[in-house]
Amino acid sequence: MPSVTVYSTANKATHSQLREHNRQLLLRAIYEGVADNRAALAQETQLAKPTVSELIGELIEEGLLIEEGRGHSTREGGKRPRLLKFVPGARHVIGLSVNDDYVMGALAYLDGRIVARHYTDLDGAQGEVVVAVVCETINGLLAQLDAPLLCIGIGVSGAVDAKAGIVTYAPLLGWQQVPLAERIEAIYQTPVYLANSTALVAMAQFVYGPTDPVNCFAAVRMGSSVGVGLVVNGAIYDGGGEIGALRMASGSPVDVRPEDTGRLDTFLGWPYVRQRARELCEAYPYPNRQFNAGDPLSYLHIRYAIQNGDPAALALQDELSQHLAQVFAWIIGLLTPDHISLAGPIADLGETMLEQTVAYTRDLVWPDLIQTVTFSLTEASSLVAVGAIAQALHRELGLV
Amino acid sequence: MMAAQLGIITNNQHQVFQRAVIAGIREVVETHGLGLLIDSYADDETHPRPVTLDYHAVEGVCVIADAAPVDLLQAMVAAGKPVSLVSHRVPSLPIPTVSADNMQGVGELVQHVVEGCQRQQLVFIRGLSGQWDADGRENAFRQEIMRYNLHVPPAHMLRGDFSASMAAHSLQTLIANGARFDAVIAADYLMAIAAVETLRGAGYRVPDDVSVVGFGDAREAEAAGLTTVAADVVEQGRRAARQLLSQINGLRIRGMTVLSVRLIVRDTSLPQSVNLP
Repeated sequence: MPSVTVYSTANKATHSQLREHNRQLLLRAIYEGVADNRAALAQETQLAKPTVSELIGELIEEGLLIEEGRGHSTREGGKRPRLLKFVPGARHVIGLSVNDDYVMGALAYLDGRIVARHYTDLDGAQGEVVVAVVCETINGLLAQLDAPLLCIGIGVSGAVDAKAGIVTYAPLLGWQQVPLAERIEAIYQTPVYLANSTALVAMAQFVYGPTDPVNCFAAVRMGSSVGVGLVVNGAIYDGGGEIGALRMASGSPVDVRPEDTGRLDTFLGWPYVRQRARELCEAYPYPNRQFNAGDPLSYLHIRYAIQNGDPAALALQDELSQHLAQVFAWIIGLLTPDHISLAGPIADLGETMLEQTVAYTRDLVWPDLIQTVTFSLTEASSLVAVGAIAQALHRELGLV
Repeated sequence: MMAAQLGIITNNQHQVFQRAVIAGIREVVETHGLGLLIDSYADDETHPRPVTLDYHAVEGVCVIADAAPVDLLQAMVAAGKPVSLVSHRVPSLPIPTVSADNMQGVGELVQHVVEGCQRQQLVFIRGLSGQWDADGRENAFRQEIMRYNLHVPPAHMLRGDFSASMAAHSLQTLIANGARFDAVIAADYLMAIAAVETLRGAGYRVPDDVSVVGFGDAREAEAAGLTTVAADVVEQGRRAARQLLSQINGLRIRGMTVLSVRLIVRDTSLPQSVNLP
């Protein structure tokens, strides 16, 4: 819902903050179809008509709005108002997802429509080299601009101070206290917004997702680690993030370093699941080269073996479901969300795995708590970048 | 004074795919007031060696598919010459590429054939082995048949090389061997069109007996009523030219720019007995 709070001098906003806020207010009212002409905007936002006219003139000059046709006269008669329309192609936004082994970027228009995506492998890079790869990915998308760039949103798999724009800890990238937003902003002279990847997955699904509007939403992202992103009371909770380092047992299902024993991601993180799946696939009689040693493994290999009744694959799915149910139960116990979405490549295991997970979750929480919670699977690969785009649009223009 | 030029290396500038890519590159290059120098070695049987383009004489080079050997690409990188690849990738070299989304495209074709057309016995016609798009589309097909738990016998993975003649020959052999199938997915629309003609020539009804779909779209596909995923090849050329020009202007780019595709359902896939939801 759009906020209709109008700043006045009494609440000590600076003149430029006040102006920016009012611009966003007008733009969002048009973007969301709340009002489509100057008089209606003044009525909706309670801003003075001269202020509306001045700011709308500015937005038209910047290309973010156009005048297109005329509306109906009011009952009192008078001139038919000029209709205002939002121009999604007026600016581009770049959304980036910095993963453990590659950087993926998406170039989008202001309505979230993606023009191109760009992938750059990290090839085991760490530290400063990763910053260079982030720039190479941004450059790949800058080459494809059809309109000026508005801003850049970046999601990082690690601990992030979103407000300060700092990656506080991302061990697999070799980053600690990296002021990424400031550095990228200095290079490209454009606003940069940073967030944890899983928080952005929640943002993407909350803004563009297929689920009905919800008040409290949790996205469980299964990648190389495990993360939980939250939307609480209709707003993104910036503190969501990685939970893979939590200890949940005294052992792990695969050989790991002693200090990693029992961590949640040794049960659910893809590098560890892949290790187990490789053993499974080498033993499983895949027909027609569905699996060859050396092929890139995916959850679809596990799914195929499950569908064909392979006991080892079925046992692996059962085990994954049990561990995931533990995560779902924590979330339900703490928040009782309206909806939990399981996101990432694990969605390739399909609905059966989700149903199994929900069944195990029922055993772990009070029946009353889970009754109203709905669940879904999301396999879209660009969710972090899409969330970064949504967040950047929200922060820069007050849209979405 | 002669305008600065960009180079294009291709195996044959007259073939449908290459011609469309070059058209896109030309469009962008001309708006920048630059010239274009095309080395199309397969056109000339007396060509002294595979590639004769003097890359020192151009500002940068677009290479279509795998037309340039790796040692030439290495030499251009070593000389600091900006290079962009179209529908190809050499992971060992820091050369960026522009490609259609093969994984998404094949995924949509298989989903349409299996869920939309309710087909189970699939045949896949491969592209030229070792070529980036061909391998990517075949890999995507193998992934998708696992999603739907389909068994595709090795004999149903047909040899192809992106040419109509090879696709027709492979399918004729399969038919002659008495194979049973109800859908053909081709790595390329030209091969899919050849498949439609071959099937009809052999007495099959398309789409009632067999659904046929192919990757990529062009006027030929539309004229044949072929169901495809539209990978706008001219746009791919435009995007590659932009990538190359950005490199020439000093942007350091590595990795792969991927363009989305979209499913276009036409006459060759949906049997009349199947009603879309």
